[in-house]
Amino acid sequence: MTDTAIEAAGLGRRFGRRRAPALDGCTFRLPAGRVCALTGPNGAGKSTLLALAAGLLRPTEGGITVLGTTPAAARERLAYVAQHKPLHPQLTIAGTLRLGRDLNPRRWDARVAERIVAEGGLDPDTKIRALSGGQRTRVALALALGKRPELLLLDEPMADLDPLARHQLTATLMADAADHGTTVVMSSHVVAELEGSCDHLLLLGSGRVRLAGPLDDLLAAHTLVTGRAGKALDPHTVVESRATGRQLTALVRPAGPLGDGFQSDRPSLEEVVLAHLRSPDAPPLLLDRRGAAV
Amino acid sequence: MTALGTATAPAVPPGGLVRTVARTHRTALVLTLLVLATATAALAWLHSLGDEARAGNRACATPPTDGLPSCAAVEAITVDETYASGLAVIATVLSWVMFPVAAWAGGALVGRELESGTAQLAWTQSVGPLRWLAAKLAAPAALLTAGTGGLVLVNVWARGDSNPNLAGDWYYPDVFVSTGPVAVAYALAGLALGALAGLVWRRALPAAGVALAASLLLHSLLERHREDLWPSVTRTEAGSFELPRSALQVAWADSPVNGVPVTRATFHPESHFWPLQYVETGLLLAVAATATAAAFVLLARRLP
Amino acid sequence: MTALDTVTAPAVTRHTSPSRGLVLAMLRLHRTALLFWLGLVVVAAGALLWAMGPGADAAWAEYTDLGCDQAAPNLGCDSPGPANSRYQTAVTVAIGLVRLLPLLTGAWAGGALIGRELENGTAQLAWTQSVGPARWLAAKLAVPALLLVTGTLTLTLLHRMLWSADRGAAINVMGWRAWHDTGVFEVNGTIAAAEALAALALGVLAGMLLRRTLPALGVAVLTVMSLVYVLDALRPYLWPVKTVVTSLDDGTPGIDSMIVETGAMTASGARVPIPSCSGEPGCDARTGITHYYADYHPASHFWPLQLMETGLLLAVAALAAATAFVLLRRRTGAAV
Repeated sequence: MTDTAIEAAGLGRRFGRRRAPALDGCTFRLPAGRVCALTGPNGAGKSTLLALAAGLLRPTEGGITVLGTTPAAARERLAYVAQHKPLHPQLTIAGTLRLGRDLNPRRWDARVAERIVAEGGLDPDTKIRALSGGQRTRVALALALGKRPELLLLDEPMADLDPLARHQLTATLMADAADHGTTVVMSSHVVAELEGSCDHLLLLGSGRVRLAGPLDDLLAAHTLVTGRAGKALDPHTVVESRATGRQLTALVRPAGPLGDGFQSDRPSLEEVVLAHLRSPDAPPLLLDRRGAAV
Repeated sequence: MTALGTATAPAVPPGGLVRTVARTHRTALVLTLLVLATATAALAWLHSLGDEARAGNRACATPPTDGLPSCAAVEAITVDETYASGLAVIATVLSWVMFPVAAWAGGALVGRELESGTAQLAWTQSVGPLRWLAAKLAAPAALLTAGTGGLVLVNVWARGDSNPNLAGDWYYPDVFVSTGPVAVAYALAGLALGALAGLVWRRALPAAGVALAASLLLHSLLERHREDLWPSVTRTEAGSFELPRSALQVAWADSPVNGVPVTRATFHPESHFWPLQYVETGLLLAVAATATAAAFVLLARRLP
Repeated sequence: MTALDTVTAPAVTRHTSPSRGLVLAMLRLHRTALLFWLGLVVVAAGALLWAMGPGADAAWAEYTDLGCDQAAPNLGCDSPGPANSRYQTAVTVAIGLVRLLPLLTGAWAGGALIGRELENGTAQLAWTQSVGPARWLAAKLAVPALLLVTGTLTLTLLHRMLWSADRGAAINVMGWRAWHDTGVFEVNGTIAAAEALAALALGVLAGMLLRRTLPALGVAVLTVMSLVYVLDALRPYLWPVKTVVTSLDDGTPGIDSMIVETGAMTASGARVPIPSCSGEPGCDARTGITHYYADYHPASHFWPLQLMETGLLLAVAALAAATAFVLLRRRTGAAV
């Protein structure tokens, strides 16, 4: 097992000549064994990135290696769940799992898949057509995890789940990942939840990488400062600053000790993400280079 | 609390619904109009060939005598073959309209919308489900009636005097269907069967398949039993005789009775064309009405 | 840092090859279509078997009872009686099903086999399993192809048995069908199977191009209809014709074969259409006609014509399948 799950170099993907590229010059590295949160505004390119990593799309620029080889060669060792959880409506749950076994003969573990289905109290003879959104997600995850993947790519997996189901499925995923060292890449909008379960962050905006690296290091690199309006903030990198009346609030990446007159605070993940989303021109921060402090 | 008088939802003008249906099924509309235009143009052109074609089908003699032209000269005129094959193609197209209509109605008109949920989208606009179904059926029905009916009229006009050598005998299946109201009735029955199939299966492909199969069955059954739709005429005579070409023979018995050779022929003369048309049209319209009623009942049953 | 255990080997006892699993998955997924196909073959085969046995016997008995095999048949022989009608219906149903097959195959391949899966994402689901896109497409082509060819060839064999039994009778009941009639020609040889294969490939290509169920279905149907129409028109020209020349006294040749072209010839051997004054005295001298000719295909040309047309159809099928693979590769960049 390699130590890099996904590595992208100048990765770009363009749909049609006239539209802006969905992904533009993305370079990042995701070490193996991490639980990575992939987040960003709508249209940022999250689904495109996951599809490229899964070998469903061909990059128009640059390249991507997954588990040390091309996505096509790593197909057996990765699992992908698309945003709308496509399943064959005419099959039963048991039939869907049998499909997984037939199409992954060398790596299928029926017990894992059946356990996940049973945990949700689902009858294996129900047709997929008759399932609710959350139940479909459960079956789709069972199909993915039954393959015993080394890399799990999930496109908004918790989108249509109630809070209890979300909690349960996240717990299942994390337990599985911890037991087997699976790398999980999960795209989501619900940033608050990600903070508890993820240890790596990849933030995309307008097709470019804005933040990449271990979550703790990224949070540690940012400071929320409040002070009097008008005070200069150089030489620190300002991500976003807002002035309300005489008060100035800003999220900065400090390049040294802050001066007097500034109060500093540790930001939460949500504040960091929102600040980056609100100011798309802020310089990106990549802390995932090989040899960087882990 | 202010008394909220029950404000009636603003009635959607019928024009709005029809426009929505037309816009949703733009492709089918354009294709239908194209086919209608092409067929009308083809029939007009064939009509212009009519006189020459009849010249190519006259009595002849070799060598030419008594004012009859030479047979080789008559044979050399190939326009009549073009005329005959052109009319045959149009007759076949007109009598098979039912099949693509049924498949489309089951698949694209009703089935796909129920499968993808866009039907429910329409129902939560100011239009209720029953009005939605009515508009879905009325607009194509009107277009089919006008289009097929018009084509039948143009077809009859292009056939001229309906010389059976050129235009086919009146009882030939494609000719029978394409020269009377039966063609329109087939199209409407196909539409209704497709809509019913779409409502029963609620998925595009199965509905299209079942609608097509049902149409095939109906078409074949009626073709085989057409001669039973109206009482036939029996002619019994001693000795032997021959039925004219214009008679559709149903049965023939040639057994001698008490040593006297007697021939009994059961047939439909040409005068039975219109009674047969009316009965078959009535049957098909009954099928269409039943299928439509069943569709509405099914939809109403599913709603609270 | 999470414990980097090596992935434990899955507790899988079977060592099936990926291909066998893929074939089984395909059969289970398209169960309805499989049953429909089996049903169609059973109905057509049943009709042919009945027609060969009891149907022909009853029709022949009715024919002879009516005296139609006598030297001077009575006029009731012009229309078929009930037993003959049933015989004709059975044969027509069987032939009709075979003729309908390319259309149905193209529609199903474009709509249900490929188009629907690309539209609702289950194709991409299959592509991220261990088999990969190229194997998936290969299975989607190979499994239906095998089933179609087996079924169609069975029906071809049965029809050939019926045909030879019919020709064998001293006076054939079914003189109304010639070897070169549309429908008879295809089902008596390899063309029926090849048409089904071409329709399958064209449907798959339409599905890959359009990626939506109903448009792919419509386009596939139109393409298959056009293909069949074009090949029908091309059929007489696929093999060199034989020419027969008759003298003016014998009149224009009327042969019971597939006539391709007929006309008159001048002394220099040039071919001209039959003149409009023909039959009149002195006409031939005036227009310089010396003989009549006819280009035709005798029955011995059956297999050459079949094989040429089969070759064309297989080429269309191969081209369409190859294009589908190229399209797939362009989308996913998959090597295998």
